[in-house]
Amino acid sequence: MRARPARDGVRPDLEDVFRAAYPRVVAVATRVLGSRDEAEDVAQEVFLSFARSSVPAGEAPGWLTVAAAHTSLNHLRSGRRRATRERAVGADTVAPDVADAIVANDERRRVRAALARLPRKQAVALVLRHSGLSYAEVATALDLSPGSVGTTVRRAESALRKELSRHASSE
Amino acid sequence: MRHPSEGTLRRLVDDPAGVADPDREHVARCPECLTRLAAAQRDAATVAAALDTGAGDGAGVDTGVDAAWLRLSGAVTTGGRGAATSRTPRRRKALRSPVLAAVGVAAVLAGAGVAAAVDWLQIFRTERVAPVAVSQADVVELPDLSAYGTLEVTAQPNVRAVADAAAAENATGLDAPRVRALPRGVTGDPRYVVGDRASAVFTFSADKAARAAAAVGATLPPPPPGLDGARFRLDAGPGIAALWSESRGMPALVVARAGAPTASSSGVAFDVAREYLLSLPGLPPGVASQLRRFSADASTLPLPVPAGLVRTSTADVHGVPATVLTSRDRAFAGVVWVDRGIVNAVAGSLSSDEVLAVARGLGER
Repeated sequence: MRARPARDGVRPDLEDVFRAAYPRVVAVATRVLGSRDEAEDVAQEVFLSFARSSVPAGEAPGWLTVAAAHTSLNHLRSGRRRATRERAVGADTVAPDVADAIVANDERRRVRAALARLPRKQAVALVLRHSGLSYAEVATALDLSPGSVGTTVRRAESALRKELSRHASSE
Repeated sequence: MRHPSEGTLRRLVDDPAGVADPDREHVARCPECLTRLAAAQRDAATVAAALDTGAGDGAGVDTGVDAAWLRLSGAVTTGGRGAATSRTPRRRKALRSPVLAAVGVAAVLAGAGVAAAVDWLQIFRTERVAPVAVSQADVVELPDLSAYGTLEVTAQPNVRAVADAAAAENATGLDAPRVRALPRGVTGDPRYVVGDRASAVFTFSADKAARAAAAVGATLPPPPPGLDGARFRLDAGPGIAALWSESRGMPALVVARAGAPTASSSGVAFDVAREYLLSLPGLPPGVASQLRRFSADASTLPLPVPAGLVRTSTADVHGVPATVLTSRDRAFAGVVWVDRGIVNAVAGSLSSDEVLAVARGLGER
């Protein structure tokens, strides 16, 4: 049965679903973005979409985690622009520290850039599995056969590790 | 028998029960498959470390669910404009910053918290808070402590809503804050949120720290004797927050009190460990020097505030020095003070005079 939006367009089960799923949605987004603050912004976006959807309540957890992963991966691109802007703003006030700070965070940014370059399905499967979803849950969420989740995650890990090694060895 | 697929080997890494017996038995006897399994394990571990943010599976992300729900419900009722977008984070971050930011910095400084067992020497007990200005860039770049060891949360705060003040007191053993006179514009009964005492143990690893330093092209300074493997504990809480909401869902007034963070060490002198941690590659030197200055007496908890966004001043609440925070646009004010081992905070979309009036009018404990 599909959830029916209330008269104001907001589904009545929103708060129950939100309280049950929010920690995991933030955890998934944090794993992609590497930033709790950005992850909370993504979680708000995801739940706002969910609030106006008719996704059946029983499918909500899977829908929300996949949406969190996709939205976060989308943010990685726009986030790069924002980080550049933030550094530019910071340079006005703390110029001596900025170079050190940029170097310190370089590895974290490299991981996120490598994640953004993975094929989307691999990236989502990887993030969901590393966020604690079981193989069966990942399979259901991504409409994969249970047997192919391991293959998808394995390919993603191999590609990501190669990306990270390539950058490390080129420095 | 043919060799199991890469996907099957991957599943053996972290869910062997999900792999059929014949496949498991084959791998156990097949040198080629064991080599492939080892490669899968290495890649999985590398990626897990790269993605690790300390977020776990979400079980430790309870804090903030109520505030996040208020933010979402505000956005839903205003048609998605404003509160749920990232364009208005200033007030939200300012509202939650006093407690979370303080705990975060304590964790960065000491690795964390408190002494209970007899072999723990108490090294830090919050008696005061002091503002430390940090820039947006610094906030983004503060090093993740997991690069320097392991942080294990031994007790989760389990933040949750409770029915009323009596339930909040039962849950925490603290007196719920009693506000005698609400500021103009704030009405109704508050919602109560409580959290249990939280504990974490940070174990310093010279090996991990050396790798973290190498990753940023630096050499790890030699650790002081005994620091490798030394453990630091942080305890904070329990805590109670009373929240009055605006019609749009944003908190109009928050009054909170919580057990102040305390830190302890399993042997290494705190000042030695602190100086060393502060010298590690990755911490902006300006921030390090500010933090070092403020923690010199090992009783003042540095409270980071965004440089340029928040003004700070000092005031007096029942004879105890307090730090007053006011956002530059005057949309938000807060006051934080520590009294007899309890961190108190009053904050809201109010003026500094109004939050001070609430703070000074709180009922006797």
